[in-house]
Amino acid sequence: MTKVNNKGVIRRLAFREFRKSGKMNCIVIFSIILTCVMFAALASIGGALINGFQNESMRAVGAKSMAGFKFCMEEDYEKILSDRSVTGVTYRIIVGTVINDELKDLNVELNHAGSDDEAKDSFCFPETGRLPESEDEIAVSTLMLDRLGLPYETGVKVHVVLNIDGEISEHEFTLCGFWNGDPVAPAQQAWVSREFVNKNVPKPQTSFYDQLGKGKDSGVKYAGYMQVSFDFRSSLDITGKTEKLAERLYGNKENAPYFGVNPAYQTSNADSDSVTGYLMFTLLIFAAGYLIIYNIFRINISVNIRSYGLLKTIGTTSKQIRHMVRTEALIYSLIGIPFGLGGGVLLGRSLMGFITVTLNIGDARNYAVNSEILLPVCAIAALFTFATVMISCLGPCRAAGNVSPIEALRYNETSINIKKEQKKTGKTTPLSLALSNLARNRKKGMVVVLSLSLSLIILNSVSVLLNTFSFEDQIRGEITGDFNVVRKVMHNSAESFSDELQKINPEILESLRNTEGISEMETVYGSEIFLELSGEAEKKMDALKEKYAASDQSGVFDIIENHGAFGTLYGITDGLGKELVLSDGEFDEQKWKTGRYAIVTTGYMELRGTETDEDVLYRPGDTVTFTAKDQNIGKTEKREYEVMAVGSLPETLDKQSSFYFDSTVIIPETEYFGLTENRKALSVMINAGEGKYDEVSEKLNDIIAPEPGIYLKSIESLRAEYEDFTRMIKIVGGFLCTILGLIGILNFVNSVVTGIVSRKRELAVMNAVGMTGKQLSSMLMWEGVSYAVLTALTSVILGTPLCYAVFNFIITTEESFLKYFTLTPVLVCVPLLLILAAFIPTAAYRILCKESVVERLREN
Amino acid sequence: MDVLKTEALTKVYGKGQNQVTALDKAEISISEGSFVAIVGTSGSGKSTLLHMMGGLDRPTSGKVYVENKDIFSLKDEELTIFRRRKIGFVFQSFNLVPTLNVYENIVFPIQLDGNDVDEKFVGEVIKTLGLEDMKNRLPNQLSGGQQQRVAIARALASKPAIVLADEPTGNLDSKTSQDVLGLLKVTGQKFSQTIVMITHNEAIAQMADRIIRIEDGHIVKGGAEND
Repeated sequence: MTKVNNKGVIRRLAFREFRKSGKMNCIVIFSIILTCVMFAALASIGGALINGFQNESMRAVGAKSMAGFKFCMEEDYEKILSDRSVTGVTYRIIVGTVINDELKDLNVELNHAGSDDEAKDSFCFPETGRLPESEDEIAVSTLMLDRLGLPYETGVKVHVVLNIDGEISEHEFTLCGFWNGDPVAPAQQAWVSREFVNKNVPKPQTSFYDQLGKGKDSGVKYAGYMQVSFDFRSSLDITGKTEKLAERLYGNKENAPYFGVNPAYQTSNADSDSVTGYLMFTLLIFAAGYLIIYNIFRINISVNIRSYGLLKTIGTTSKQIRHMVRTEALIYSLIGIPFGLGGGVLLGRSLMGFITVTLNIGDARNYAVNSEILLPVCAIAALFTFATVMISCLGPCRAAGNVSPIEALRYNETSINIKKEQKKTGKTTPLSLALSNLARNRKKGMVVVLSLSLSLIILNSVSVLLNTFSFEDQIRGEITGDFNVVRKVMHNSAESFSDELQKINPEILESLRNTEGISEMETVYGSEIFLELSGEAEKKMDALKEKYAASDQSGVFDIIENHGAFGTLYGITDGLGKELVLSDGEFDEQKWKTGRYAIVTTGYMELRGTETDEDVLYRPGDTVTFTAKDQNIGKTEKREYEVMAVGSLPETLDKQSSFYFDSTVIIPETEYFGLTENRKALSVMINAGEGKYDEVSEKLNDIIAPEPGIYLKSIESLRAEYEDFTRMIKIVGGFLCTILGLIGILNFVNSVVTGIVSRKRELAVMNAVGMTGKQLSSMLMWEGVSYAVLTALTSVILGTPLCYAVFNFIITTEESFLKYFTLTPVLVCVPLLLILAAFIPTAAYRILCKESVVERLREN
Repeated sequence: MDVLKTEALTKVYGKGQNQVTALDKAEISISEGSFVAIVGTSGSGKSTLLHMMGGLDRPTSGKVYVENKDIFSLKDEELTIFRRRKIGFVFQSFNLVPTLNVYENIVFPIQLDGNDVDEKFVGEVIKTLGLEDMKNRLPNQLSGGQQQRVAIARALASKPAIVLADEPTGNLDSKTSQDVLGLLKVTGQKFSQTIVMITHNEAIAQMADRIIRIEDGHIVKGGAEND
């Protein structure tokens, strides 16, 4: 077959077609913009969240690099550097740790950064000044400067006590740079120059790994070895790539230095439920985009079908027509996508700003829609939109290509689709006409109804979601009473467990108690004890061990055997009795006041919540015996109490950390004070007097704010957080509904208007044979109203199962779905929809009537 | 008695240099029960004249009387109602309502008026036009000739003062054209129906009782009953 270069003609035709249909173009481009806005906004939010989480976990790890080899020699570094698969190879040389007295609660490592990139990748690059160059220079974080009591000024002298592999030395440095220290980082870095390393750290002569396995680890030298970090070109399968790299460089993994992969890059093990959820959500959004663009293209084709028929008559092939339609789609995309991206990113950025503020998720800068993610976000949104456009125009393309010239010339929307041979005779009214018109093109009707329903369904699901949130439920695990003063959970191995539990000193307790306006104050004291297991309890413990020791990974049973059954003793003021969470037995205030009773919980952690009677060491009526040690005076005392009930403190006032074997014994405050002279408390619950809330809140804040290690929780701040959270859901849900709603309405307007325009002649005929304008308008109005009714029905029929799914996703307890189910949003929207559905067709017809009947009759 | 009469009927399209006088002071009178053909070449103004006579389009000047009623004194909605009661149309391209079956199409103007259908009369029209077996069929299941017969039935069903047929055989082959025209004439006579048909085809025009010729918007022959 002869090849003819006819692309130019086809392209020209496509451009001419495009220029010809002004209004239609606007609608198509607007729909593409809308879809792209939706994709871009969602991609921005998603991208910012993923990037934010990654940034945050990188900061927590203290490294940006994808992977690294540990304790390398110089030749290892050279080897890695020479490999082609890695990029951005940097190193640091280990020197030692800084152990000044002032830095007891701060872990500071002293190292040499091989390059600026190494410091940057560790989030420790001087924001003021530079990295050290001469022997006496040092760069540190502001956190270290704070502890040392030094000003944020380069040039100041820094005295450092240094531990290099066990050898202590003291040095005077000059500060040459500093940066904002990050409290979440596992260790603070302090950088010194290469010159310092050369003079003070012996260069290792043998591999670090030769030292290992030769007895004790304590003699191992770390100083002088290098930590080498690097990236790969993509973040996919970093572990696999690192293993391959090790094999390539060292023959096998065993010969290679230890290597580690940055956990920030390891995708969290998303469970199948949330993956399905995301997938469903993405599909839904994609479907929304598809519905609108598909429908509009289809309508566009049916409007142009005569000219396609004409083109075919004069010799254009199906392939050429399809090519023409695709070229038009390309032009539409080229115009629509940039606008959509701009709008979507702006929208995503403002929504994201709102989300970070309201959810209070870490440092807002981490979650910004910044230049880093802009490119991938735009690329994804553009790709998605373009794919949607192209997929959407597949069907219409085929329809345009397959059109038979004669059919097309005769085409009116109606003749093709009626398959019924016979029709029962009935009375002809505007309503009956409208209904038979609806049945003409079921596919079109379905697309319109579905796209209108989609936004209603989502709106309804969001409302059900909001319904399932209740403030009381949300705060149940957050606060007891109006205010709680509790400890900040910190992991400081220097402190004993009892010290950790005792953060609120007696002076603070006194100030709290004297605060004007409070109506109640209850206090929890805590310290450590050891249970004396004997008799029944001992037997049960043995049984527990037998049952679970094999599967236990924590080693808790060995610890109990060697060191005793570790537990926590709480002393509580009497008023707290009513707040205790009891699983067996009841709280009897009279008995409690005698001081002979205790509330006890014992259990193996893996079983929590699923314990059987045998798994719990003590039941009501048993006797619990323990020894408590008062650390202040070194007194040890044994006590015995009768178990009143099995239960524990409300989580909010508890120690907020747990152990593999949890035993807690709660006794009255007076009993507790008899065991120890320590009057420091673990937590405090305060209720404000009637109308005194704000006053009390302010005063408590003044007392608590300056104290380290503890903080104040108030019900109002929780309420504010809760409201911010629900508002965010409303806004994000509202944004989705608005976009989907706009898409639905656009689809509706488009199909109605084109439906009327393509029936122009038919309507003129009806008018000619005597159907008045009023009758025609009412027929068209009924058509619109039928769409609205069908939409409402579809929303209810399809929306209810979806709401049920949302409900099941959120609520795991056996609560009644009907309690939260609502159709109010649909019911509220239906009248609006009805008005719109009645108004748009009549308005469209009125515009049509600007042409006379004769003019309309003449149209072919 | 004249069932239809026009007075100095003029229609001007466009303005200034583009001004075209499609119809120039046309004077026509048509008596009850007659079968009249209006003949002219393409662009002569015959369709414009028909549209004016049917009240589909308003003239620039002049009047149209149907049963002595000045139809352009009526407002648009009144005119539409007048049309469905007094005028039946048969179009070249049939123009049936695609969602209505044959019977529904035929009684459509009557039902629009909210009137009861004169079943006996309609039944007779249907029988005369040979449509009894296809009453429940939809238009797209009919041939062109059958569709035009339905259109004729629709025009006759409401017993109008006058039936206006605009090139009723324009879309039909010659054999079917003959059949349809024969039926149009026969039913017209049977039900004493005044029929005005426009055509450019001399042979078809010869079937009429009277021929009016129109050229460049002027009635050149046959405007009055005795021309």
